[in-house]
Amino acid sequence: MVTLEGVQKYYGTAHVLKGVDLKLGKGEFVAVTGSSGSGKSTLLNIIGGMDRPDAGKIFVDRNEISSYDDEKLTLYRRKKIGFVFQFFNLLPNITVIENVRIPLLLNGSRDEEMAHAFVSRVGLEGREDSYPHELSGGEQQRVAIARALVHDPDIILADEPTGSLDSSTGRAIMGLLTRLREETGKTILLVTHEEYISRYASRVLKIRDGIIRQ
Amino acid sequence: MTLTELIKVMVLKNMKREKFLTVLSVIGVALGIGLFTGVKAASDKAISSFEADIRGTNPYTNFEILDTAGTDFQEEIYRTVRKIAQNSFPVLKVEGYLPEIKSAIDIQGIDLIRTAGFLKLSPGRGSSFENYFRGLNSAIITRAFASSHSLKRGDIARAFVYDKEFSLRVSDIVDDASLPSNIFLMDLGNFQEYFGKTGYLTRIDAEADETTVSEIKKILPPSLSIGKKEAAIRNQKSLIKSFRYNLQFVSLIAILVGIFLLYNTIFISVVKRRTEIGILRGLGASKKTVVLIFMIQGLILGIAGSMLGILIGQVTAYFSVTAVEKTITSMYRAVSITDYFIPKTDIALALALGVLVSLIASAAPSFEAARIRPNESTREGTFEGGHRRMRRAYALAGLVLIALGCAVSYIDYHSMPYDFPFLAYAGILFIIFGFTLLSPSYLSLVLSGLGRPVEKLFTSVGVITVGDIKGSVYRFSVALMSVAISSALIFALLTLIFSFRNSLKAWINKNIAADVYVKPASCRSNFCFFPLSDELIKTVEGMPEVAGVDRFRTLQIDFQGRKVVAGFGDREIRRRSGDVGLAEEERRAERDFGTDRIIGVSKFLGIKFDLKVGDTVELRTPRGVQKFVVYDIFSSYSTTSGFVYLDRKWLMKYWGLDDATQFAVYLRKGADVPAFISRINEILRPRFSLSITNNAQLREHVLSIFDRTFAITYAIELISIIVSLIGVINTLLALVIEKKREITILRYLGGSWGQIRAKLVLSAGIVGVTGIFLGGIMGPLMSVIFIEVINKVSFGWEIHFHIPFYYLSIVTAVLFLITLSAGLIPLNVAKGVDPKRLISFE
Repeated sequence: MVTLEGVQKYYGTAHVLKGVDLKLGKGEFVAVTGSSGSGKSTLLNIIGGMDRPDAGKIFVDRNEISSYDDEKLTLYRRKKIGFVFQFFNLLPNITVIENVRIPLLLNGSRDEEMAHAFVSRVGLEGREDSYPHELSGGEQQRVAIARALVHDPDIILADEPTGSLDSSTGRAIMGLLTRLREETGKTILLVTHEEYISRYASRVLKIRDGIIRQ
Repeated sequence: MTLTELIKVMVLKNMKREKFLTVLSVIGVALGIGLFTGVKAASDKAISSFEADIRGTNPYTNFEILDTAGTDFQEEIYRTVRKIAQNSFPVLKVEGYLPEIKSAIDIQGIDLIRTAGFLKLSPGRGSSFENYFRGLNSAIITRAFASSHSLKRGDIARAFVYDKEFSLRVSDIVDDASLPSNIFLMDLGNFQEYFGKTGYLTRIDAEADETTVSEIKKILPPSLSIGKKEAAIRNQKSLIKSFRYNLQFVSLIAILVGIFLLYNTIFISVVKRRTEIGILRGLGASKKTVVLIFMIQGLILGIAGSMLGILIGQVTAYFSVTAVEKTITSMYRAVSITDYFIPKTDIALALALGVLVSLIASAAPSFEAARIRPNESTREGTFEGGHRRMRRAYALAGLVLIALGCAVSYIDYHSMPYDFPFLAYAGILFIIFGFTLLSPSYLSLVLSGLGRPVEKLFTSVGVITVGDIKGSVYRFSVALMSVAISSALIFALLTLIFSFRNSLKAWINKNIAADVYVKPASCRSNFCFFPLSDELIKTVEGMPEVAGVDRFRTLQIDFQGRKVVAGFGDREIRRRSGDVGLAEEERRAERDFGTDRIIGVSKFLGIKFDLKVGDTVELRTPRGVQKFVVYDIFSSYSTTSGFVYLDRKWLMKYWGLDDATQFAVYLRKGADVPAFISRINEILRPRFSLSITNNAQLREHVLSIFDRTFAITYAIELISIIVSLIGVINTLLALVIEKKREITILRYLGGSWGQIRAKLVLSAGIVGVTGIFLGGIMGPLMSVIFIEVINKVSFGWEIHFHIPFYYLSIVTAVLFLITLSAGLIPLNVAKGVDPKRLISFE
């Protein structure tokens, strides 16, 4: 489903990704581990269409997204990708349900039922009208997961999703992600530096100095 | 870390990073302060020119003897006065006009030998003083006047004086800042001989104590009075007080918008740096330190704004001086202001204003910052949440303030407790603050009503935008209020100007009925006080096409203890000439009141002295105090100091005068007006210098004076609009800066730049529509206070309310479009953000 061929990325003089080759199958749950500055987040940003490689190619469903312009990449993100971040990145001034609705709205859908259904699926029924600051960290991450899944994307990209949570909440979030993947069959690429998180994945890759080691 | 280092890190670096916002804030504050300082400096210069004129050539004298009607008097009295007060000085003066350099001048004949000791006239220059005495038309002028009009010793200037043309020779130039800059000093004897005023004086300046004054009073005839110069200065100042304060108040509103702007910028710094503040607090920074950091940021912006404001103020003063000079010349009397530099005291005032503005603007956000707890750093929504809880209280306080604003304005309207409409001005400020507090509830209400249609119309972008605004109501309210104040000010001033113009047109239709109007070319004001030659009037009266000449005489008389302009016209001539409207009104009044001793008083005086039709008033005349019945209380747009109108027969009877200072000519039916004007020009021009206008020209001239008077108001309005628009851009930009991370999240979620642009423009559009609508409520309310209270208390002008819908709709459309385009500017800021950096920041 996702194929990376010799992907390289520079930030100024820093050679962050030094020829990454990677294949992700449909419905696969892959964890990428590595230390800070190893290039994990850059890899996610490139697969997620937030950044372009300086060399190499990326194919998603046989489409070469590395050749896409900004407009096409935006559409690609909107349709195919769901992001989950370490610090949740919810819009602070709108409610839970409005946060979850945003990807639907960007896709031109006004299906409120779908948003409510996903809020329920992540266990936040009754909190729809709360504001993010009224929720705990774990609850905020649940909202972020609901938001990442609500528009039915093919790929979920999760950047240290438990990084700002305590371990028991982190486990609960990972349990939720695993359950939802099983229910929806989504492909998940998750980057983390926590060993125990990678145990939830079906495949674990290590990235060191910009190179993936299987 | 010392406070200085903290400021470097927390304030200066941030200002550098947000250059555009910083520059906008500084410009916004600078425009408000510049406008205020410039207008103040210009009107102060006019006041100084008044003061210099009264202190004049004998600055150390403390009393002046004047004719009670403001006319020249026989000089014999001087000899007696001098016996009582040794230090007394005769002055004969007249206003003139130099057509080549288009400047009004003040010609004074003085006893130079006696006055030289008081003036800095450097009598060492013997040769030039000799010239001064020898040449009948020699005059000494000031360095300021000479420099600004490139005049030098020996130059001859063509001058209109009284109703004739003369030439004046510059015999010397003096440096004396205490003299009015446009003064032309002549030897008294030369003046009398050259202008044909032998045996006359205009005033006697005297240095006297109370005992001497009592002695002088005993020998003065009833037509002369002695008064303190200080009182005369106070009286002159009060004449233009309203004019000055009204201008300053409007420019104060520009400062108010500047406060919004600065508040917004500081506020953004707080919101944007909640995390940093939380960390600082966590590291042990006290609340006081946090307050200090943001107050200092405000101070830096405020002081920078003041400094730029002083430069802008200097430019404003340069242009305002011309406008103020022309307005005061039309309304009161000729003034010439050659110095337009802002004095040191005003520079200090501008800096103090900057400090004050910055303290007011930064206080609330600074204390907001101090409330941030160390553990709060990641809870971004808490700020809006806090205000959301307070919304009802804000709304209630807002309603109370609006009601209070209306109430205090009504008190001013009803009881007029002060000479100046302080309460009405306070009322306007209360109303603005009231609406500001009410605005979050108003915006929420509008969104709950308009939300659905907007969502339907703009689909997903509409839903996201409405959701975003609903979630940031407090922030959007600041932007909304910038637009609301700006549009309210435009609505109010446009309504005032158009209402005034319409009322003036109605007044013109009623009062300007003669075919030709004649006045001396030397007279630049609406009313002239120097009599025309009898020969001139007789020549015109003798022309075959003339049906009648209404000889009009103005005097400055004492009305219930106040100096006002009295106009004497010839009712019979007007009636005979077909202008029956006013004449009939007077005859009817005579029948109704059973007396012909009737007087019309301007609304200004009616309000000041609480007069009604049928009341009796007393006038001090040379023949003693005389009683008249008020038959009409009319609008007089020609002066703001009060005007009374009487029939000419009283001029002769009580003032012993039968001359005229200007006159109106009624032609026989079918007479060719342009041909008549050409003919009188042909006959009179060689001997007289006159301003001759036909009916249409005078109507046009009155309207052009009106436009000139309001020129400065237009300029203030324009600057206020610019400040407000900067406010809108600043607020929208601030919102983008504040929401950079949210925009980035939208980008991650697949939001295109097109959608983000649409969201920004839609946000700006909603701010524009709601702001303009609120301005549409505030504006008429303000215009009612402007027209019905401030104008009446200040000037007593009757203005009929007229809303210029056509112009208002154009201005509304322009404002809306500008607000929309203001929404596009922040897009570039948003595009310049690296989303990865922002998201990975945490």
